[in-house]
Amino acid sequence: MLVCQGPGIGSVTHKSTWALGARTKKWLLADVISTVEFSHSGDLLATGDKGGRVVIFQREQENKSRPHSRGEYNVYSTFQSHEPEFDYLKSLEIEEKINKIRWLPQQGAARFLLSTNDKTIKLWKISERDKRAEGYNLKDEDGRLRDPLRITALRVPILKPMDLMVEASPRRIFANAHTYHINSISVNSDHETYLSADDLRINLWHLEITDRSFNIVDIKPANMEELTEVITAAEFHPHQCNVLVYSSSKGTIRLCDMRSSALCDRHSKFFEEPEDPSSRSFFSEIISSVSDVKFSHSGRYMMTRDYLSVKVWDLNMESRPVETHQVHEYLRSKLCSLYENDCIFDKFECCWNGSDRNGTSDTPGKVWKEPYLQLPLRKKIPRSSNRIAAEKVTRGLKCASNSLQLDTYVLLKPS
Amino acid sequence: MEVQKEAQRIMTLSVWKMYHSRMQRGGLRLHRSLQLSLVMRSARELYLSAKVEAQEPEVPLPPARSPDPCLHPPREAEAAVEVAPCDGEQPSPEPMDTQETPRAEETSARSAQRPAKVSRKRRSCSLSDGGDAALVPSKKARLEEEEEEERASSDVLDRLQPPPAQAEGAFPNLARVLQRRFSGLLNCSPAAPPTAPPACEAKPACRPADNMLNVLVRAVVAF
Repeated sequence: MLVCQGPGIGSVTHKSTWALGARTKKWLLADVISTVEFSHSGDLLATGDKGGRVVIFQREQENKSRPHSRGEYNVYSTFQSHEPEFDYLKSLEIEEKINKIRWLPQQGAARFLLSTNDKTIKLWKISERDKRAEGYNLKDEDGRLRDPLRITALRVPILKPMDLMVEASPRRIFANAHTYHINSISVNSDHETYLSADDLRINLWHLEITDRSFNIVDIKPANMEELTEVITAAEFHPHQCNVLVYSSSKGTIRLCDMRSSALCDRHSKFFEEPEDPSSRSFFSEIISSVSDVKFSHSGRYMMTRDYLSVKVWDLNMESRPVETHQVHEYLRSKLCSLYENDCIFDKFECCWNGSDRNGTSDTPGKVWKEPYLQLPLRKKIPRSSNRIAAEKVTRGLKCASNSLQLDTYVLLKPS
Repeated sequence: MEVQKEAQRIMTLSVWKMYHSRMQRGGLRLHRSLQLSLVMRSARELYLSAKVEAQEPEVPLPPARSPDPCLHPPREAEAAVEVAPCDGEQPSPEPMDTQETPRAEETSARSAQRPAKVSRKRRSCSLSDGGDAALVPSKKARLEEEEEEERASSDVLDRLQPPPAQAEGAFPNLARVLQRRFSGLLNCSPAAPPTAPPACEAKPACRPADNMLNVLVRAVVAF
């Protein structure tokens, strides 16, 4: 579980939530972080929590007097992205917990990100304001209107610097397209469309159009009693805007090409590793569920995470992964206890580093070395600890886009 | 025996988890429900096969009621499939036992609750139906149960989250049965609804533990 709290985050510029945490040394359930995402350049890190808030951290600039400060992230902006809602038709509460955040590629001074809860996706614009115009003709400095008859000369307003203000404003709201709970969003390489995936369907959206979306994958059976698998994650290919993959709870990954048909129910490629019958157990079906799938930056490989391992697949070979890394094999004998305390349902994520040479995945306390992939030491975060886990965010996280390794990665406490 | 106990424990745990997941904020999670049902199914298979192994050396029990010929073949096939993995050389009379013993357990559980309703009719078991709204097999029995339970648990039901039509979710029938069964069992407090007629107080609210277990097991086995 990762909890961000307290003064450990470099210099705290936003006092509200964090100062409270420091004083009371307690964290609220709503503060539990549910998702994290770096921007493409790595200078911003967005986190979403169970309370529907998004907190964006910015990497500290290089400073000669403090050479080690690069790599620390300070709070840059905080805003409430989603509120709890109530679906009156089904008498269900819709949680405000942020399930996923994805940054859009930067195209101007402002930054854009998509954040989603179980049912609604929102596009946020994050913009900076560090200048203020002064010297208006028609109004005074304090905003009162001046008497036009008393104006004898005209002046040009000048821009004066002010304290940096970061504003977040919702630009689009994409709602009412999902019956089941949204688990993934992925921005396409065309920078115009994106997909959102729930348990049984994947929808394609255009960023400018909020009142409709196209359904491209639908695995809902005619009779729900025959349901055997659900979609767990989906992603667009980083370069080919017609290719997407989605993973299932059965441990399979399907690659779809949108050029083949409008509805991509039939996959173009099917990636599945044959199950090892000797390792079959009671809980085999649960632990084989793929919780995350990520393309490499090159687009040639993809990484999948199931409960106990990380697998690297070559898109040209569907029969088995090219690499398998047992992340915490020691848990295999404890599956029953993990089932009792619900930990077996945890969903882990994975990601590539900038050079595609290394991968990392959130997992407690295990070092693993492999001839081809050198993977970093993970730090165990005790569950009941009040420790300032943010230090792991600041110390460990380095820029994702250059070839440095990630020392630690945020541990996600899943739903 | 250990295996059987463990499987039973996991089954009851799964049912409990499934019931409580419906009370969570955000509603029923499809993936979670699916995973729970898979575990429940594996546990059930293990339980039944362990039970078969335990019953093997015993003298075959006399059938509780005369077998219905049209239901025989599919039940036999099903039982044979269950038995086959554990012991391939079982002679053909043996599958009869596996049919009878789980059903004997079911029917004995049922008869313990409704002593007045002894029926000689063989009820279709949901093992062959594939969970098709047949957790309580015969129409007559279900109707009577519904009447009794409704009186006792109507107040409790009102306080619960309104149930689905959100059985637009998966497993609508299981959801309904869980709702019916466990609203009384798990949500009751000593201050039972005062308006419940005293005759029905004993029914869902104060069921002894072993009967509760029977109900849970029955729901799971039927599922």
